[in-house]
Amino acid sequence: MSNQPRVSANLSKTGNVVRDSALGLVTETVDPYLRFNHAIWHNGPLTAAEVELARLRNARKVNCVFCKAVRYDIAIEAGLDEAKVEQITDDFNQSELSQREKLILAYTDYYLQQPTAMTLEFKQRLTEEFSAAEIVHLSLAIMLCNCFSRCAVSLGGMPEEDLPRMQISVPE
Amino acid sequence: MTWFTEANTQQDIIDRAPTLAPTFKTFYDSFWQLSSAPPSLLELCRLRVAQLHQSDYQWQHQQIKLSTEKRQSLSEWSKSAVYTDTEKACLAFTEVYCMDPQAITDAQAEAVKSELGDAGLVALIEALGLFYGMTRVSQLWGF
Repeated sequence: MSNQPRVSANLSKTGNVVRDSALGLVTETVDPYLRFNHAIWHNGPLTAAEVELARLRNARKVNCVFCKAVRYDIAIEAGLDEAKVEQITDDFNQSELSQREKLILAYTDYYLQQPTAMTLEFKQRLTEEFSAAEIVHLSLAIMLCNCFSRCAVSLGGMPEEDLPRMQISVPE
Repeated sequence: MTWFTEANTQQDIIDRAPTLAPTFKTFYDSFWQLSSAPPSLLELCRLRVAQLHQSDYQWQHQQIKLSTEKRQSLSEWSKSAVYTDTEKACLAFTEVYCMDPQAITDAQAEAVKSELGDAGLVALIEALGLFYGMTRVSQLWGF
């Protein structure tokens, strides 16, 4: 993995964390991304705490140091505390997380590891717990988080060691 | 029809979340209007992502019309003369991206940058994330 950012020249200085990043170079996608990201966190049927569970599971599996350090304030306000975050490990099935939360993590793992391998029994458990709109929301949330964590890794410049926890708002 | 809804296409399923579908569609559509990465180039990369995932659903989808020759030769792009240097640099990047983005080398990134510039490299990386994600989502949904 490259320690040096692969793109660093001519970045904007607007004060917006997304527009001032390398993403700001692709002007046509910035506003659509920000609006879609806003919708994922604010407009979907899942709570922000549920979306954050999937985001952090993805962050740990992709090993995006920035993504792992971030905590979104909207998720904390929705009830996600560090005691829960500490249970997002490979042993989450033995944790004290709720069955609903464990299903979110397991679905995220299927996306990350083997999306064609879901069993009928697992699908049935999902449909008993989640509406169709919630499954779509969870899928799109995982896709978006995975897309931009892989983007951060691909762009290089990722610190090798974990960063301190950072509480931030969803970029607007 | 998939395992959690009677909808028959990926877009129809996304429409089951009406508070998200319009912003998703705008986001997805924005990638096909980029000044830094031509749509035909991104379509080649999208199709290579589909091949690497063995996703017939994504392979059968046609976002942008390509020549039959370019579609048919895609699995052997590195040995084929039908692809440009730009396309080959991006397809090489695509393959490593799909295996592990941590394995992308500076040389592979530079090869894309030398063809498309900084904005083109970022655009390709974002687009690959979207294609990779939508391929995996379609597989989760049973397509």
